[in-house]
Amino acid sequence: MPRTRHATRFSSEAPSESSSSTSPERAADDDTDFFMAQANDSESSIGVANFRDVHMQQSGRNVVLPPIGRLPPEILIAIFSKLSSPTDMLNCMLVCRGWAANCVGILWHRPSCNNWDNLKSVAASVGKTDSLFAYSELIKRLNLSALTKDVSDGTVVPFTQCKRIERLTLTNCSELTDKGVSDLIEGNRHLQALDVSDLRSLTDHTIFTVARNCPRLQGLNITGCTKVTDDSLITVSENCRQIKRLKLNGVSQVTHRSIASFAQNCPSILEIDLFDCKLVTSPSVTALLSTLRNLRELRLSHCTAIDDSGFLNLSPHLTFDSLRILDLTACETIRDDAVERIVSAAPRLRNLVLAKCRFITDRSVLAICKLGKNLHYVHLGHCSNITDGAVMQLVKSCNRIRYIDLACCTRLTDRSVQQLATLPKLRRIGLVKCQAITDQSILALARPKISPHPMGVSSLERVHLSYCVHLTMKGIHALLNHCPRLTHLSLTGVQTFLRGDLTAFCREAPSEFTPLQREVFCVFSGEGVNRLRDFLNQAPISTAVDETEATMYDDDEELDEDEGQVTGLMHATAINDEDYIDIGPPPHS
Amino acid sequence: MSSGTPSSTITLTSSDGVDVTVERQVAERSVLIKNMLEDLGDSGEAIPVPNVNEAVLKKVIEWCTHHKLDPPSAGDDDDSRRKTTDIDEWDQKFMQVDQEMLFEIILAANYLDIKALLDVGCKTVANMIKGKSPEEIRKTFNIQNDFTPEEEDQIRRENEWAEDR
Repeated sequence: MPRTRHATRFSSEAPSESSSSTSPERAADDDTDFFMAQANDSESSIGVANFRDVHMQQSGRNVVLPPIGRLPPEILIAIFSKLSSPTDMLNCMLVCRGWAANCVGILWHRPSCNNWDNLKSVAASVGKTDSLFAYSELIKRLNLSALTKDVSDGTVVPFTQCKRIERLTLTNCSELTDKGVSDLIEGNRHLQALDVSDLRSLTDHTIFTVARNCPRLQGLNITGCTKVTDDSLITVSENCRQIKRLKLNGVSQVTHRSIASFAQNCPSILEIDLFDCKLVTSPSVTALLSTLRNLRELRLSHCTAIDDSGFLNLSPHLTFDSLRILDLTACETIRDDAVERIVSAAPRLRNLVLAKCRFITDRSVLAICKLGKNLHYVHLGHCSNITDGAVMQLVKSCNRIRYIDLACCTRLTDRSVQQLATLPKLRRIGLVKCQAITDQSILALARPKISPHPMGVSSLERVHLSYCVHLTMKGIHALLNHCPRLTHLSLTGVQTFLRGDLTAFCREAPSEFTPLQREVFCVFSGEGVNRLRDFLNQAPISTAVDETEATMYDDDEELDEDEGQVTGLMHATAINDEDYIDIGPPPHS
Repeated sequence: MSSGTPSSTITLTSSDGVDVTVERQVAERSVLIKNMLEDLGDSGEAIPVPNVNEAVLKKVIEWCTHHKLDPPSAGDDDDSRRKTTDIDEWDQKFMQVDQEMLFEIILAANYLDIKALLDVGCKTVANMIKGKSPEEIRKTFNIQNDFTPEEEDQIRRENEWAEDR
């Protein structure tokens, strides 16, 4: 039977503008894409079916309506929306025609393509010319990221008919090219969020297609699309003026030209991430901060061309009350002047990352103290000028710090850590290569002296102590027994712990590690922490140093696989700490 | 009831003509009634509720009375809870009624614009659906299967991906 006849009988066409594209302002998703930082199974429009056949059912035969038959379609849809399992939804579709028409839009809103069989089934139905419903009209979210390299331009051909997709997530589908992606986007006026991270072959061609077709675009993630240039991005900034979230990580050809254009044309931008955009310069920073008054998150990690002038050239009267997250990792020429300036202009900063800003001194830390209780997350790793005095002041001023990293701040001593131990909400502390610290620090962390914890127990979850070479069993044993929430403990390169009976509880070294690195690797996580604790509690431990010859690995980085090596992206906000997600809903526009 | 200024009770007239007196704060769980009171002022006259009969109206008032101190619209714009079908114990008991009444309550909640009650009602029905086969669902709600076997087959084929594997 031709589809047109079905369509009249079983019309499932997504209705006109009124009910489609009601996706909320926040371009958030519960899919595994970058938009999910604002985790929110948002109500992007359900393709509501037509109800012609309900009338048919009612008037067709002499059917006595059961009580449930009195519910109008919108209530049936509300009921079906409470179902979470596709199987339940399918079973509802199979109940009767009326239910089928009202449920199909919910089932197909976000078809599950997390394995190859599902994808094949979904694609086959979408591509069928005589299908019972016009499924291609119903798909609002499509996420193929689970299938990575298996997705080719050929795979996505059936989906080129789906012109109502609002969120398209193709993260890591690295075999896709301009052809496949542009065909998906061409003719789609509804797209709100596009994630093509690590589709390295994409060029300006795809981005021009986005600019030409998608005026409602709010989120764009082109991380790692190194071939993309300013030319197409400028067009995007001119045509997609509702953009709120922009990730250009590693798009290395980006310069001030396109950034200035985004600043000028897209006033709704809330988050921008320019990780490793090495051609971006200080005027870009000035332009973004000066014009984007809603900006919440500015990530400039490894934008090494940026210097103090980006901040010092801001008009002295401007304040940035929306700014919550600033990441200047490895912006190596940033100095105290810039830090003082930005902190005083952005008093509500919550996350501040200055790792590897190696010239900053205690002056910066004392400036940061002004953030007071707003500061929750601070990374000062490799800022080796910092001294105990500044850290102690920081703890006194900003007592809501939950996350602090001071790796390689080699001047710090037990005095700093003893003060840090008083932070009532501290969950994560990084002291890698703070080689002056001793068991005294660890005992302080185990038994905080001031500010008793609200729950009566330590809130510490992750403790990084690799290469703190003076540590011994005594401190760590106490730490384990006094921190019940501990899920991560790294002791790489700490001689006392490099013994077979203890490293048995370590996790595997990352596969890319060299034999030398493996030899000193010592990270306990999850169950490993508990097993280490149990083991130490069982047997009296000999404190004799093992004979294992462990050469100090001469690298600047901690050898943990989970920190340090992973950079940028949502890493900082995505740490498993709900508090970092609650930076409040984006202002409605 | 007295026609004095903001009286603490108001009167609602059900579709079958019965007057029901109710605390104003309770009645204002209904956005429809709240808006009417705001727009019209409280004249002291009975407010007609033409779509809801006495039995259902009393049931709705029972729910509103129990929930009169709930914060407004709690759970309603909370996306994380949108999908869950957890229902608190009191509400579960409250919803243990025959289907006729259950759907009338849902319709009344929809008409009177009491979102939280509508939500509980929809969750209750969703829980009656979960884990059941199509035939079991039909039996539960007394629905006739109006598909041809071919159509049923086609739906299964075209939605294979949604099946449990």
